[in-house]
Formats: sequence, structure tokens, C-alpha cells
Amino acid sequence: MKQYILRRVGYSLLSMFLLSLVIFLFVRVTGDPVSLLVEPGASPEDIENMRRQFGLDQPLWVQYWHFMASLATGDLGQSFYYRTPVLELYFQRLPNSLLLASVAMTLSLLIGIPSGILAAVRVDGFWDSAGKIFALLGLSLPSFWVGLVLILFFSVYLGWLPSSGSGTPLHLLMPAFTLGWYFAAAHMRLTRSSMLEVLGSEYIKLARLKGLPEALVIGKHALKNALIPVITLAGINLVVMINVAVVVETVFAWPGIGRLLYEGITFRDFPIVQGVVVIGGAMIVLVNLFVDILYALIDPRIRLES
Amino acid sequence: MTSRRDHDDPIRGIAQRTTRRDLLGLTALGILAAGTKPARAAEGQLVYASHISLAPAWFDPAETSGIVTPFMLLYALHDGLVKPMPGNPAEPCLAESYTASADGLAHSFVLRAGATFHNGAPVTAEDVKFSFERYRGNAARFIKEKVAAVETPDPRRVVFRLHQPWPDFLIYYSSVTGAGWIVPKKYVESVGEDGFKKEPIGAGPYKFVSFTPGVELVMEAFEGYWRKAPTVKRLVWKVIPDETTRLAALKRGEVDLAYSIRGELAEELRRTPGLELKPVVINSPFWIYFADQWDPKSPWHDARVRKAVTLALDREGINQALTLGHSLLTGSIVPKDYEFYWRPPKIPHDPAAARRLLAEAGFRGGFDAGEYYCDSSYANLAEAALNSLEDVGIRVKLRPIERAAFNTGYAEKKYRNIIQGGSGAFGNAATRMETFVVKGGAYVYGSYPDIDDLFAQQAVETDRAKRAPILHRMQQLVHERTVYAPLWQLAFLNGQGPRVDESAFGLIGGHPYSAPYEDVRLKGGA
Repeated sequence: MKQYILRRVGYSLLSMFLLSLVIFLFVRVTGDPVSLLVEPGASPEDIENMRRQFGLDQPLWVQYWHFMASLATGDLGQSFYYRTPVLELYFQRLPNSLLLASVAMTLSLLIGIPSGILAAVRVDGFWDSAGKIFALLGLSLPSFWVGLVLILFFSVYLGWLPSSGSGTPLHLLMPAFTLGWYFAAAHMRLTRSSMLEVLGSEYIKLARLKGLPEALVIGKHALKNALIPVITLAGINLVVMINVAVVVETVFAWPGIGRLLYEGITFRDFPIVQGVVVIGGAMIVLVNLFVDILYALIDPRIRLES
Repeated sequence: MTSRRDHDDPIRGIAQRTTRRDLLGLTALGILAAGTKPARAAEGQLVYASHISLAPAWFDPAETSGIVTPFMLLYALHDGLVKPMPGNPAEPCLAESYTASADGLAHSFVLRAGATFHNGAPVTAEDVKFSFERYRGNAARFIKEKVAAVETPDPRRVVFRLHQPWPDFLIYYSSVTGAGWIVPKKYVESVGEDGFKKEPIGAGPYKFVSFTPGVELVMEAFEGYWRKAPTVKRLVWKVIPDETTRLAALKRGEVDLAYSIRGELAEELRRTPGLELKPVVINSPFWIYFADQWDPKSPWHDARVRKAVTLALDREGINQALTLGHSLLTGSIVPKDYEFYWRPPKIPHDPAAARRLLAEAGFRGGFDAGEYYCDSSYANLAEAALNSLEDVGIRVKLRPIERAAFNTGYAEKKYRNIIQGGSGAFGNAATRMETFVVKGGAYVYGSYPDIDDLFAQQAVETDRAKRAPILHRMQQLVHERTVYAPLWQLAFLNGQGPRVDESAFGLIGGHPYSAPYEDVRLKGGA
């Protein structure tokens, strides 16, 4: 077991190293950030000064060494644009993203799981078709369009909700729904397919043969097992919602991490992009590591095989 | 535009290239065309919807990077000895008076009596010296190398001594850089650099209250401001990156002034009762540059071909289609409010004359002219210009390039053929010529010796009356040789809500933002 955990931790560290390398190189492929921070026509000397100030005049491997050395001490560098430590910016935005992500996730689970169950137990019926349409729309409609339509009805036309910003529960409703719908659709589809698989299994047939009420068969015996992949996906999705709700946060001017990432990309702010991606990646790697260890604890075959 | 013949329509190409994204944009427009339920706005408070995230570096004049955006906040928080103001590009502000010695080596300022910082401390000569020495932004080394010493003979007098006469000292000190914007020495030293950015204190009309990165900035009126106490008690800047959402917020009354509402959304804004479109022509001309005009093998070497391009451009049509007619057709690469600007004759839209010139140059029926490079943010302007060129038979291939890469490629002289450029860099006609026309300039692909000589002459001429004709002659030569085919001086379109009496948009020539803030008024005097 110890060996298994050590190996998993090793893989996780390797993943983080590769992620840091890829994002470090990727942002630099996108172009020179200094040319966005000065007017066309700025003197070459000013451009060079700024490049020096940001350490961009140094060879790539030196820049990467500095990045990794800082990362090892928990320092993600300073934003070129905000001239503020990235970690400080990240933690300023984190509460907003957590709030939006948790409400959106709650909505997506409240909508996605029951509609997925309904679709599975009424296969090819009305509810199944309705669920499929709901999922199709949720996954295919661009969230910036959904966001704008919501602003039309609820903000501009009806005047019920503020069009953008944050601060009150009312500000949260439209962005949470826009973000939640996409993930509700994904959760609905997974719940449906997982339920269909479980409902066809031997032990469910046995439960039915024993004469257990259908509600008990579905609610207790089928759902418990069918929900495992859904919850696993929801965990990963939550990390995604926290870190990369870029479009929704931009349309609704929601001050979260997704918008920070958007700003980082827009201004070629390498430290911000690197920081957000590395933290987001670390969250996903940690969740996976935790799940792997949990699986090994629960299922002895995994640790014995390893 | 609809009555024009199809081949004269600069937006035809745009319509043909309509994408799914455009359709979604139109849906958004439909959204905003719907009825509006207004929200209640706070009394005595004015809210701006900013198109761009506000950076704490902009609270500090020492950090100005050469773009105009920081001045959006500097005009509220800080003040300069001399700065651009309505009707005067270099008006004494914290300085009561300014004088330059006859030999051009000493520039003296007498500070305004009674001017104070937000903490009540008087603005002194020591603060002026400290602010200059502390300045580390755009052109910092350049300006400091020219200054031999900053003397403070008494608390209200500052003298800048130069190594040699430099006629552009004042323009660099007051607006090209942030070196002339004054910060309180004692306060900066006591709180440190980071502390200053977190709680900035200045001598401007508004005091800092709070800042939440990416969300909002709040300031309140400084009653002791020397020019006048602002009537609006509280200013709030909300960052709303999406243009459609900004317009929705303006329609609902959640914000009072919204920056940057373009194209169809601007049209919608103009149609909405109670809202007002506030265009501001900014110091940012756009042009077509013939990068190969010095290559004898290139068609652009022939001045008649370059002239044909400038005559082919339907500037009026492009202006109507893209900025609702609010951009300025100056026919120059120098912004019209810049010192030493020379006004060229109006360039007509004359496709027939353009075809004639092409025929004379041996290109009857036009020619395949290769690539047309542009910053992709302004691809709409390029598409419209490209249609004009095609109408006279000049067939070019559009190469929109992402902004950072474009700027780098332009400066590194990687492009050939046609480049669509533009610049909002500060300065005057001389600085513009230096960067874009004269040999060795950052964006110069070739030059003309007589123009270079004129530049060298004016650079040492301290008598303004003698310097102006030299710079005018340079601009005249650039025009006559069609070194550039100017497109327009861009209008920045903004929206004003019904509560606002005076938005202060356009009061300061070429400044894109609302300023001076002490002139902003809400209806009913608040």
C-alpha cells in the first residue's frame, strides 16, 4: 500500500512538472506581452526596459528556472498588468468563484440527477426525450449567448435582476444558472447512462424478483451505485467551474478566477495564466490522487495488483 | 450607405463575411433593442462602466507606461504641474506659472499657493523634485538624461536645468510621461511603494476610497481641490468587460457612463430614448503604409500608384459604416491637436482618378498587390479599405495578425507591401515624425534624405516660430509623396445615461476618457 501511494504521488508530481513546463512554454508561444502594454510607436528603449523589468530579456531556461524556484516556495510571481502578486489576486477572486461554482454545482446536480434518473426509468418516453433535448441545448448553446438572453429577459426587459456585477444573491442567479445548465446537461447524461447500466445488472433483477418496491429498487439499490461516476465527475467539474468559468464570468462581469484568467490571456500576463493553470491543475491532480488512494483503500484488488 | 452602388459600399465585404459569431452578436443587439426597466441610481454618485480592468499601477504616476489608459485615473487622483486641459494642451495646474530661459536651458515653475494633497499637506518644490526623480515609466531614462539638475530654491519654486536646449521638454514633462504628476514625498516614504499603490494620496479632485481588483474602484470628492470642489460627491468605476453587458447596464441605469460601445451597439445606443452617444476623437490616427516604396522593383515605388490608393479610399463611407461618421478624416498621421500639426488638403474619394493614375503607371485594369497586414482588432477597418482598393483594381490579400504579434512584426520590419498601422502615442508632430517617418525611427522601413535633414534642423531649433515651418514642411512632403495613405483619426464611442448633465467627454482634446473630473455634473447640480 505504501509503495502504491508513493507511486501515485510520484505520478502526481510528474504531472505537475509537465503541466508547469507546458503552460510555461505555451504562454510564451502566444507573443510578446510588452507590445500590449505600450502604444505602437513606443521607443525601443522603453520596450526593452519593460522586458527587462519583467525578466523577459533572459534566456528561456533561466526564466523557467526562476519560475520553478519561486513555485517551490509558493510564489507564483507578480502580475505584469496589476503589478500585484498572483497569489494575492487569486485569493481575492477565489471566494467569488467558490460561491458561483457551489451555487452552479448545486443547481446542476439538483436538475441533472433527477432528470437523469427520470430519463433512465422512462427510456424512450416523454421524459427521456425532454431530458435529451435539455441536455442537447445545455451542451450546445454557447454560454455567452445564454447569458445575454437571460440579461434580456430578466434584467433589461423585466427589470428583476441586475445585469452584471456581484454583491447580492440576486447578482448570482443568472451567472449560476448559465454555468449550471451546461454542467446539469453533462450530469444528466451521465446519470442516465449510469442508471441504465445499473438497472440492467443482476442484483437489480434479483431485488425486483424479491418483490421490493420499485422506488426502493431505484432509490436505494440502483441510485447509490449509479451515482459514483456522477459524483466523481462532479468533483472534477467543480474544480473546472472554480477556475475556468471564463465566458460566464466575463459576460456577467463576475469577479472570479475565470475572469482573472481571461484578463491574463488578454494582456499576455504570463504569471497570471501560469498561476491559474498551475493552481487549477494542482487541484485536479490532488482530487485524482485522493480518489486513487480512496479506491485502493476501498478495493483491496487495486492495492494487491499494484 | 444603402443608396450607394454596390461596388462603392465599403461594408459589402463585411456582409459577405458574416459569421455565426456575427449572428449571435445581432441576437445580442436584438436583446438590447427590447424595452428597458430602469434601476435606481444612488444620489450624488456617478458610476462609470469601464471596458478594461483597472490596474493599481495606474494609481501611481511614476508607473505610466506610454498608453493613455492610466490617465483615466490619474486625472481623478493626481494633478500635474502642467497638464492638458480643455482648450490648452499644457495648462499650468499645480504650477501657477511656467517660464523657459532664453537659452532654453532652464525651465522654471512657481507652485500654486494653497494647493494641497488629500491629507492636507501642501504641495512643495521637494514633492516636485521627488516625483521627477522617482518616475520610472515610459521614456524615464530619455527625459532624465536630458535634465542636468532639479533645483528647489524655495518651497514654491522649481527649476529644471538641461544639459542642452530641448524644445520638447514641456510636452514630455507634462503629458508624454507621468514625471510631471506630483505625489507627496513624505507620504510615499512613510507607506512605501506598495503601500502607496494600496492607499494612494494625490493632489487631484478625487480621493481614493477603495479598490477591489476586477470589480470596482471608489473615489470621493476632495473639497479642497484648488481649481474647484467637484459637484459629484462619489465616483465609482465598475469593470464590465463585455460590451453588450455594458450597454444593458447603461440602459437599466445601473451605470451612468459606459466606455467603448461600438458598431451596431452604438447605433442601438443612439436610438434609445434617454441615452446619448458621446463620441470622442482620440489622438490615434490610422493609416496605410507602403513598406516597399523604397524598392525600385515594387509597384509602390511609383508615387502615382500610392496616390491611386489614397484617392481610391472611400473614407466617408468607411467612417459612416464603422464609427457612425464620428471619426475625423484629417488626412494625416499626426493627430490634429498635436503641436506643430500641419493640416493637409482634403483628400477626395475619386476612383476614376485613381484608375487613371494606375493606367499611367502601367497598371491598366489594376494589379495583384499582395498582402495587406493589420492588427486583427482593426480588421473591420482593413476590410472596408480593402473593398475600396478592389474597386479600382488593386487586389490585396488581408492578413490580420493578433495585436501583440502585429506590433512586434511591424516594429521589427518583417512585413512587406501594405501595412495598416495606427498610434495613440503621446507627443507632438516632431515625435510622430521621428517614430514613423525619419531614418532610424522604430517603424520606419525607409526614408527620404530631405525629410531627414529637415528633422535634424528642427531638433536643435529652440525658437518655436522658426521650428513650426520646418515641421510643417516635413508633413507637407509626407503628404505630397504619399508616404502614407491616411485613413482616419479614430473616434472612441461612449454612452451617457439620463442622470448626467456634463460627462466631460471630449473636453480635453484627444483624451478618450471623461476629464477633468471636477467638471463632471449630474442633473440637478449633484
